[in-house]
Amino acid sequence: MLILHAAFYENRLFVWGEIPAPPEPPVRRVSKGRLKVVKPPPLPYDAGKEHLSKALQEAGLSRMLNGLISQTAVAWLPTQKNQALASSPLISEVPASCISAVLYPWQVTGLCLPPLAEVELLCACVEKEVLAPGVLIGKDLAFWAQALRFAGSLAARQRFLPGLQESEGTYYARWEPVLSGTDSSVAARLAALMPRVCRVLTADAASPPVRPAAQVLEDFLGRMVDQLVRSPAIAAAEPAPARRGRPARKVPGFDSLHDQWLHALQAPDGPMAGNPGALAQLHQQIQQWRHPVTLTAAAPFRLCFRLEEPAEEAPAAPGEEHWFVRYLLQAADDPSLLIPVKEAWNPKKSTAALLREFHAKEYLLVSLGQSARLCPDLDAGLQTTLPDGHPLDTRGAFAFLTEKALLLEQAGFGVMLPAWWSGRGAKMRLSARAQVKSPKMTGGSGINLDQIVRFDWQLALGDEDLSLAELQELAARKSPLVKVRGQWVQLNAEEIQAALDLWRKRAEGGITAREALQLALGGAQTPADLPFAGLKAEGWIGELLAQLQGQAAFAELPSPDNFHGILRPYQVRGYSWLNFLRQWGLGACLADDMGLGKTVQTLALIARERQADHPEPVLLVCPTSVVGNWQKEAARFTPDLPVLVHHGVTRSRGKALAKQVKKYAMVISSYALLHRDFELLKEIPWSGVILDEAQNVKNPETKQARAARALPAAYRLALTGTPVENNVGDLWSIMEFLNPGFLGSQTAFKRSFFIPIQANRDPEAAQRLQRLTGPFILRRLKTDPKVIADLPEKNEMKVFCNLTKEQASLYAAVVEEAARALEGADGIQRKGVILGVLSKLKQVCNHPAQFLADNSPVPGRSGKLARLTEMVEELLQVKDRALIFTQFAEMGKILQRHLQETFGREVLFLHGGTPKKQRDDLVGRFQADGSRLPLFILSLKAGGTGLNLTGANHVFHFDRWWNPAVENQATDRAYRIGQTRDVQVHKFLCLGTLEEKIDEMIERKKEVAEQVVGAGEGWLTELSTAELHDLMALRREALGD
Amino acid sequence: MGWWRYYTPKPARQVKGGIKAQSRRGAFAASWWGQRWLKVLESFDIGERLNRGRTYARKGQVMDIEIEKGAVRATVQGSRSHPYEVEMLFRPLSRAQWYQIAKALGDRFITLAKLLAGEMPEDIEEVFLNAKVSLFPLKLKDLETDCSCPDWSNPCKHTAAVFYLLAEEFDRDPFLLFKLRGLSREELFELLGYTPAASAPSGPDRSGVAEPVPEEPPLEPAAFWGGDNLCGDLFGEVRLPEVTAALPKRLGGFPFWRGKAPFLEALEPFYLKAAPLGLDVFLGLTKAPAEEAPPQNKRMQPVPKKAKTLHGKSPPGRRQSGKSAPKKKPRRKPRV
Repeated sequence: MLILHAAFYENRLFVWGEIPAPPEPPVRRVSKGRLKVVKPPPLPYDAGKEHLSKALQEAGLSRMLNGLISQTAVAWLPTQKNQALASSPLISEVPASCISAVLYPWQVTGLCLPPLAEVELLCACVEKEVLAPGVLIGKDLAFWAQALRFAGSLAARQRFLPGLQESEGTYYARWEPVLSGTDSSVAARLAALMPRVCRVLTADAASPPVRPAAQVLEDFLGRMVDQLVRSPAIAAAEPAPARRGRPARKVPGFDSLHDQWLHALQAPDGPMAGNPGALAQLHQQIQQWRHPVTLTAAAPFRLCFRLEEPAEEAPAAPGEEHWFVRYLLQAADDPSLLIPVKEAWNPKKSTAALLREFHAKEYLLVSLGQSARLCPDLDAGLQTTLPDGHPLDTRGAFAFLTEKALLLEQAGFGVMLPAWWSGRGAKMRLSARAQVKSPKMTGGSGINLDQIVRFDWQLALGDEDLSLAELQELAARKSPLVKVRGQWVQLNAEEIQAALDLWRKRAEGGITAREALQLALGGAQTPADLPFAGLKAEGWIGELLAQLQGQAAFAELPSPDNFHGILRPYQVRGYSWLNFLRQWGLGACLADDMGLGKTVQTLALIARERQADHPEPVLLVCPTSVVGNWQKEAARFTPDLPVLVHHGVTRSRGKALAKQVKKYAMVISSYALLHRDFELLKEIPWSGVILDEAQNVKNPETKQARAARALPAAYRLALTGTPVENNVGDLWSIMEFLNPGFLGSQTAFKRSFFIPIQANRDPEAAQRLQRLTGPFILRRLKTDPKVIADLPEKNEMKVFCNLTKEQASLYAAVVEEAARALEGADGIQRKGVILGVLSKLKQVCNHPAQFLADNSPVPGRSGKLARLTEMVEELLQVKDRALIFTQFAEMGKILQRHLQETFGREVLFLHGGTPKKQRDDLVGRFQADGSRLPLFILSLKAGGTGLNLTGANHVFHFDRWWNPAVENQATDRAYRIGQTRDVQVHKFLCLGTLEEKIDEMIERKKEVAEQVVGAGEGWLTELSTAELHDLMALRREALGD
Repeated sequence: MGWWRYYTPKPARQVKGGIKAQSRRGAFAASWWGQRWLKVLESFDIGERLNRGRTYARKGQVMDIEIEKGAVRATVQGSRSHPYEVEMLFRPLSRAQWYQIAKALGDRFITLAKLLAGEMPEDIEEVFLNAKVSLFPLKLKDLETDCSCPDWSNPCKHTAAVFYLLAEEFDRDPFLLFKLRGLSREELFELLGYTPAASAPSGPDRSGVAEPVPEEPPLEPAAFWGGDNLCGDLFGEVRLPEVTAALPKRLGGFPFWRGKAPFLEALEPFYLKAAPLGLDVFLGLTKAPAEEAPPQNKRMQPVPKKAKTLHGKSPPGRRQSGKSAPKKKPRRKPRV
């Protein structure tokens, strides 16, 4: 466990870390006289170079470790009673009260990364809490990661200029960000959010750091923007590689200081050599050159142009309307504060107060002069002594809207345009509407999406269709802006020409129904790039569209006869929806919240498929950890369907497989095999391909994602519990699997959706994407009113896990040993042996590290742990909270450590050894702090009774106590009075092991269980030796991989 | 035929890093006022020296130009080993004359705005004429030139070269003419009756300037380590600009640029390459810009044989960065 921190210090990122350390006796500080600088004591939690390097290596950033320099610095950290306070309880206990904490110097070790490694590290930290298992991202590092994004934004918008900076007598050529207008207010807001730990370093302990946040941020942005501009230039400017045996070329001599400056701007670090006087003069020249920008960038106001529409009461001939561009001053920190230029020039008292300290006259003269160069129309407005604005005719207004506004905006001036123009999407424009004619839906048979339908384009203005005559009439007005029905409409000449061309060439054609669908949802090109205004469809296509877009209901189906179970009403809807899309051969993504029953809805669909006489099998791909669960759930709900698990070393291959699968309704396999056995799998004619936990293919470049896309299938289904629709970047890959081509190529998707939504915050693009993908994604939350009514308040589920190979061989060894020990044992001794063996087997099922008690590494060795980790990840994403019960304190410890390292959050743990006072503390903290403490591990004995933990809405039983009464009591810690949400109970079981067998026994005897089972696990010792053998024997399906 | 036919000028010594005119061919100044300034030179009637002066300006024979109020001093490399000293002295206008001009300018917003924004207003000469003075120096009366070369002609080709370079500088900053006639920007504002503009902060460099240190809020350990995660929506929208390098283009050329390549042309590639990288960083798409970086240490990472990729080559400046890094290491204090 290591928490990574970063401070910006001496113009670079100083990366340091905290690791857990036992509380040390308070450090005695001896100050010998006031003036002497005391060397501060080392921070007890200081990670040191080794740990830091290892952490970066684990995060996959090992490349940056070459030639890394470590150094020490003095960090001023909160200290109480001479003890440094750790940043998190994960490092060391934090006292409940820190009232008397003060900043005190401590010595910390840090890494100074090479410039680009800083960028790389910060990029890796964006919006994450954990960099790698056990490497947590401190809030300071997370802050810098966001600040880097701002630097990226400045570089992307080219808001930087070359400059020269002096430091300790040396001049450096630097690229410097230019912060003006909104950028400076963003910087101010960002500085206000900077955690203080970002700026706590000093070189020595003489005095605490004094640089305010705003300046530290400015330094940081300067450094990062410089790197972002410099690094591609360095890469491009590299000279040819030195020939073998010859030293690299020396720094070339320069003919002038200017040449040297240009060279230094693309050289690492950018130092300048030369006589200081000349350099100082260059510095001055640069300042002089940059003066106009500096002047406007530093101004608290900016010049702003507002285009005002012609007055309603003075109608004029088309094209002759009187528009007006008004000049205003806009406050940088409050964009709603606008002062007309006229007023700013001769301020009244009220205005003068606002403008104090601001030399409005010089600023206005310079800014208006500059704008006039960009936009010569301004000359007309400046002919007076007191400029106010300038008038425009309609053509001029159009030019202002389309060209001048952009130019002025890019130069850093404000521009305000009428809402009908800037309100994206609402723009009244000439648009193309598609028309599709298809026959009425009759009985549903014989219709499919590959049919050709009649298709035609229709021109429209706003909502209304446009006839040729109307179009010609509009064109005749020869004005780029026309007022139609009280609305200004943009009519540029090229678009009119495109529209007229379209009319001329207008010939009715045909497209496939699938293309029509894609068009209707907004995913296709329009002729001449006219804006797309929807599709009018008649006949079955229209009906289908209405159903897809949720405007018309689709039939709800009864659950199939071969489905043994009762679907809840929302599950019936989900299953019917899946079936509806399946009928049309359209891919569907079922993204219901965890616990809502994606599995049963899917099984119902598969059962129906089978009934409908589709002899080909369905391929279900899932993570290894849930293979067993699928198998088990299928056996429970669809026992008539033959299921093949294509997994493990004994799986069939080649022709044998192709032959074998014909007998099955469903083949379960894992993502790893999807890639490995791809050549085999792709030869089989699947009726459907289903991806469970489909977030596994969110990265389109991975082998499994490629393989999934390349499998031919009649229908495709993706299941996931994570909110895919919120993550634009992940959507493409899943949609491309489901409905190939619907979102266009990956590059086109990046261009038309990803960048507009993520970088331009374009709500229209987000809407388009929603329209395009919405019909294929169904996500319901536990809290949806329609769902909540159908859900029981306590929803118990069994989670079947597989053993890993290691677990299986350990399990077999324990069983073998038990068989020997049982021979000849009887009475008390026999009971003892049995209980001992049962406990060992449970430990093996939990985790080899628990069984071996060898403190060995945890990840990747237990099926249960893998599944728990996946489920916890999912529930954390939707801000749910969970109790995790285990009967072993050692397992609790392993879980606590693993979950903390994986998710970077503190995980509470209450066990038999926890003193009473601390128990109350833990319970109190869990109930009080909702967002920061989502997980609470309890040992069954210590935490199974008495406590009130209604803050949790999930209960996990990581291992089983073979006594339902005890388990229910534990569950009731969360499911009790005071619980406001439904509670989901997940009981973990290892398939094919005694856990499954005992569970079956308990289920069989449920009604009499309480009598048979009594209060403990003693009843198991009464079983005969044969029964015991059968109980413990490891069945084939146990093995996961 | 005059005797000068027998005079063949010796070729000038080559100068490295001299100030080169940015215009490669054709007319020298782009603006009307720059050309108007050259008319002053042409009015001296110095024949072939004009052409030679132009060649000197283009070849970068002018090594240095210093401008101060009312005077221009330059060093020009000719054929001799020692460069010549050129001096131009302008006759300043009187305070009263400036006052009158400032008053006239105060009434013409556009004239003043354009002047300050780097454009000489068309009607400027009219303003000066009304004050019965001339903005552009009239020969001999307003301008005195001198050069240390042996040529009897004044102005000589060296002076002409300086004239041409000044024309380009006027293009960039028309206010320079005012300065040469004795009025600084600050003085103009004063005459106009505006509060003198405090000189704008000069970028990030404020070494030596003591800044007020804001009061730190009282220490709260929880807040010290950082509260809730930052919201990624803080930064608004980002679009790649349609015009490359708009900022430097808005500022125009660099005063008396001596670089080999024209200034703005040299800057443009930086802007072109930085923008997409910046966008990727903003979007969090950049996994490893470091992949493009050259190896940190040549010894530790041998240059791959196929050095076609951008990395793997060691640029000459690399070692400097290695050297400067430890320099920044805080000095270790001896134990006390």
